[in-house]
Amino acid sequence: MPEVRLEGLGKTYGKVVAVGGVDLVIRDKEYVTILGPSGCGKTTLIRMIAGIIEPSHGKVFLRGKDMRGVPIEDRGIGYVFQNIALFPNLNAAQNVAYSSRARGADKGVQEKVAREHLKLVKLLDRMAMFPDEMSGGEQQKVALARALASGSDLLLLDEPLSALDARVRVDLRYELRRLTKALGLTVVHVTHDQEEAMTVSDRIVLMRAGTIVEAGSPEELYSQPKHLFTANFIGESNFLEGWVREKVDSLTRIEIREGSTIEVLGSTLEPGDPVVISVRPEFIYPFTTGLRSKVTSSIYMGTYWRIKATTEGDDEMNFDVPITDGHLYQIGQDIYLMVNKRAAVLFPRPREGVEEAISLE
Amino acid sequence: MSYTVTDWDLIQKYVFDDPATVQLIQDAIVASFEIAAIVVVIDIITGLPMAWILVRKQFRGKQFLDTLIDMPLAVPTAALGFSAAIFWAVSKPSAEAPWFAVGEISSPFILVLLLHVIFSYPYMVRSLAAILEQIDQTYETAGQTLGASKLTAARTITLPLFRAGLVTGIILAMARSLSETGGTMIALATMANSQGFQTGPSLIGTLKSGLALNPDLAAPLAFISILLIALSLVLLVALKLVVMKVRLPAGRVWPKWEKILSRGIAPKLKDGFSGAFLIIIVLIPSFFIFAYVFTATASQGDWQTFWESLANSFIIAGVVTLVDIFLGIPLALYIARNKKGRLPQFLDVMVNIPLIVPTAALGYSLGIFWGGAPFISAIPFLLVIFAHIAFTYPLVVRNVEGAVEEVDAAYEDTARTLGARRLQTFRKVLFPMIKASVLAGAIMAFTRSLGETGATIAVAGTSVNTAPVYIVELINGEQFYMAALTCIVLIVVSFAFMLALRLVTRKRRAG
Amino acid sequence: MPSITLNQVRKSYGDIKAADGLELEVLDGEYLCILGPTGSGKTTLLRLVCGLTLPDSGAVLLDGKDITRWEPEDRGAVMLSQTYSLFPHMTVAENVLFGPDLRGMPDADQKHLLADMLDIVRLSSRADALPKELSGGMMQRTALARALASGTEILLLDEPLRALDARLRINLRHELRSLAKTLGLTTVHVTHDQEEALVMADRIAVLRYGRIVQVGTPGEIFDNPNSPFVANFVGQSNFFTGKVEAKAGNTTVRLSDGRAVHARACQFPIGQEVVVGIKVGNTDISKEEAGPLKGRIERILFEGKFLFIDVQVPGVGLISSKVPSWRMGKLAVGDDVNVHWAWEKATVFPLPANGLAEELRVD
Repeated sequence: MPEVRLEGLGKTYGKVVAVGGVDLVIRDKEYVTILGPSGCGKTTLIRMIAGIIEPSHGKVFLRGKDMRGVPIEDRGIGYVFQNIALFPNLNAAQNVAYSSRARGADKGVQEKVAREHLKLVKLLDRMAMFPDEMSGGEQQKVALARALASGSDLLLLDEPLSALDARVRVDLRYELRRLTKALGLTVVHVTHDQEEAMTVSDRIVLMRAGTIVEAGSPEELYSQPKHLFTANFIGESNFLEGWVREKVDSLTRIEIREGSTIEVLGSTLEPGDPVVISVRPEFIYPFTTGLRSKVTSSIYMGTYWRIKATTEGDDEMNFDVPITDGHLYQIGQDIYLMVNKRAAVLFPRPREGVEEAISLE
Repeated sequence: MSYTVTDWDLIQKYVFDDPATVQLIQDAIVASFEIAAIVVVIDIITGLPMAWILVRKQFRGKQFLDTLIDMPLAVPTAALGFSAAIFWAVSKPSAEAPWFAVGEISSPFILVLLLHVIFSYPYMVRSLAAILEQIDQTYETAGQTLGASKLTAARTITLPLFRAGLVTGIILAMARSLSETGGTMIALATMANSQGFQTGPSLIGTLKSGLALNPDLAAPLAFISILLIALSLVLLVALKLVVMKVRLPAGRVWPKWEKILSRGIAPKLKDGFSGAFLIIIVLIPSFFIFAYVFTATASQGDWQTFWESLANSFIIAGVVTLVDIFLGIPLALYIARNKKGRLPQFLDVMVNIPLIVPTAALGYSLGIFWGGAPFISAIPFLLVIFAHIAFTYPLVVRNVEGAVEEVDAAYEDTARTLGARRLQTFRKVLFPMIKASVLAGAIMAFTRSLGETGATIAVAGTSVNTAPVYIVELINGEQFYMAALTCIVLIVVSFAFMLALRLVTRKRRAG
Repeated sequence: MPSITLNQVRKSYGDIKAADGLELEVLDGEYLCILGPTGSGKTTLLRLVCGLTLPDSGAVLLDGKDITRWEPEDRGAVMLSQTYSLFPHMTVAENVLFGPDLRGMPDADQKHLLADMLDIVRLSSRADALPKELSGGMMQRTALARALASGTEILLLDEPLRALDARLRINLRHELRSLAKTLGLTTVHVTHDQEEALVMADRIAVLRYGRIVQVGTPGEIFDNPNSPFVANFVGQSNFFTGKVEAKAGNTTVRLSDGRAVHARACQFPIGQEVVVGIKVGNTDISKEEAGPLKGRIERILFEGKFLFIDVQVPGVGLISSKVPSWRMGKLAVGDDVNVHWAWEKATVFPLPANGLAEELRVD
């Protein structure tokens, strides 16, 4: 039985389409992330699931039941807010116990619920503290405990980590996934952070301008994106424009410029088609032949060097060299770059231009 | 106040030795506080749902509702008093109330109560809405996602966070009720039989009017003024302490009942009731005067004095507003940008004291204070201006202070690092951002000064003839038609002035 | 040419020491990142430099000149707040010309300057737009143009990328740095994001509790952290506590459960209780190669370029490792693996006085 099913779900404000007809099924115990840039409609979407925003059209089904007309409090969801929204007039324990209090449970039950769930997030020692006495990370963990304490098996997370420091965020990602998996919850998590999405999700749903671009496991979206936008948004990519020159066996040969070609494995595109090649920085290697380029900068990234180089065609190429290589690149140095033909992905060249197709704003 | 110290024996002689006077003062003061208390309770009960509608609901015509609520603020209380009395009360036959007026209220107490609700209601709604606006709605939504019904969430989360704001609303509404003089005097004079009923301020007004004929009234006048000031301050402190300490009984939840009340017909009834209250109790009585002039018999009056009084009112209000702005902005800036310091916090409290002291008592106290200065006491006009500044200054300071606090200090900081001196920063960066609030403060101060009766009478008797004072005189002389016309002119001019101000601001913003 | 020096600068708010003896030198033309968790005093440091906050004691020097008591407008150091503070009632052009206008620059010159500045930040077509009509990235560029137009040589950036989407942030890092570098500005950039600091900075100063914990190039900070806190804050680390057992070129540390691990040379005497820190990214796992620790893979997360792998090591606990994602098919949950690392990458620290957990707190 699917936990969450969205059918043609949409929201318009006057003439502005915030979300336009989304169909999506989120399976039982699945951790799904709705990922996309600001204004793509992801927050509107999750709020419609929760019942905070009334949809303009389409339906939300939770546990198979149509949720039209069902108020927030009867949808059986746990919700974690971007701005944390711990009740400032209640301490940690009272916050966590709120759901059982709202159901009219007595003091003893409330206390037990608070203890149990604060223990889950390892914050038992903060029971009597008020929100403003805790750090941002602790507050968000209490908010998570509060949502879990409602006893729901469906957790909606609305940019739960974006108010926190980068380093705290990293730790909490792992914590979040560990906890929700251990409890066997179905999770819908909204974020604009593609790294966060990859770390926590079973499946990522990438949105842009109110619609779903594509959905798939982190690995699928990273390694075999079906859209140019995905290739750029999830992880970094280098983009090279060219034409399909010929197809030889399983190889497709792309001409970037007069006399400069790249070979890529497989493709349905035909000779003469204008294409864009997308390659991840870790799949470009300096070699004895290839695209002639000039190194413009090298940045120390801890376990690898990020090298930037400019090709003769003035394309900027980013590639990564493991520190263990022990090889240093000098700015201005001439090198040849090879593209891993297994890891490059081909797209038909978009009519509006690459720049526009991958635009984030 | 120095009067009390030097002339205590006079007070002893004319007040305590005269049981009738003691009784009079006691009755008036008790009535004042009773009315203020009941008015506040009514305001909260009816104002809270209205504030909720204004802040939390999105609907067409919300702008319109917003304006409706502020309308009584633009009507001088003197005009309100007459309008409400004609609408509700059994009025003097010479007043010729139209046949479709309610005309049923014969208790002066209830009439004054209804009148005070009209002009304190907008203050309460505004204060409550302002706080509600600051409370993140996410809290309620969070409560709902945790299984609480709307009512439960609002009651257990939002209301406890509301407390500080509630105090402000209560104090403002109560102070307005405790202060009001002109409207009350007029309403009482319009009644067929006011049974000698007086509130504290109306008693001050009456005594002061009679002072020229009977100098013995000075002592009771001083006494009641002091008593009113002292009691108001005590009440203020008590309120602050009590409301902040008392725990609202928000602990228990009755899920079933609250759920029923959260849905279906109950919320609609509540909203409908709020709207009906606004229209029937607040708006219709406010503007009933317009209906009145069409039905009453026309009569001629002294237009010369009328225009003079109007001019006086405008000059006073104008001067007062200008002074308020020029002295108010620097203080507001200082308080808003140094919120944590001891001195600014102290000043913040001090500035607001005139707001809670009844203006009639304040006016009398100021009259005595400045009376010692030979130059100023010679010009009653100046005295009136000083008195009006005292109670309008806080309005400007509060408005500007609130606006400055809203503006992120980072704007000014950035401007400084870009090379702007302090004054340049204020002129080019901060002022354009708070202009609207400065104007709002100015409008409030202006209309408040325009409508003020009590302080004017208390400070200068009837020697300075402002429009509201003139209306009081007309009513006392039973020239009701003329009084109504005067009221209407005052209302129309106030409105026109506010509209003009708004237009000017809008144009400037667009340019 | 602008260099900034902080000399024993202190500033307290009540009991909170926002600056507790700050000692820092920012070199001319340098891009320096101040990195630290929320509440470590990063913003206070910036405000002390530009004069919006005055220190309780200590001195702020500009090119060796004491400017501790100077007004902000006389220092010529422009601050960019987190939200950019573009004046909402002014257009892009008016915002950019705010500084020149104050100085009374002639109109013709202003026009030229505006054209130049908008050209640099690629906003020539948006000169008449109001800030609220701009995207986050454009707002940031306008704020930069405004700073540059004021003629400043010092740029103070308070978390300039925080308000932007994660993906956009990555794009703008490079842009921001190269602009500052091209124009030869001395830049102090405050951030809580260690990756941002690594990518953007010439040097990083790590701040905690109002004190500067370590200053160095990204390489030095990453490879030679001077405390477990820095080791964990800048890139995650695995930590082991034990006693120094032998020192011969490298250090051998005996863990409490009897196993031995190796790390770089240290000055601690044999027998001293120490902590060994090794970056997650430098912790390798394999089935073939031998290693000091053996465990079972508990979880594998695909993070794009890397796999993040948790290994349960009996007696030690969870050890994390980041390996290139092309190894995806070769590792699976439940596999028994050896954990190992190059000892040159592991650092030995004295056991923190307030306990390891407290030392590692990141918020």
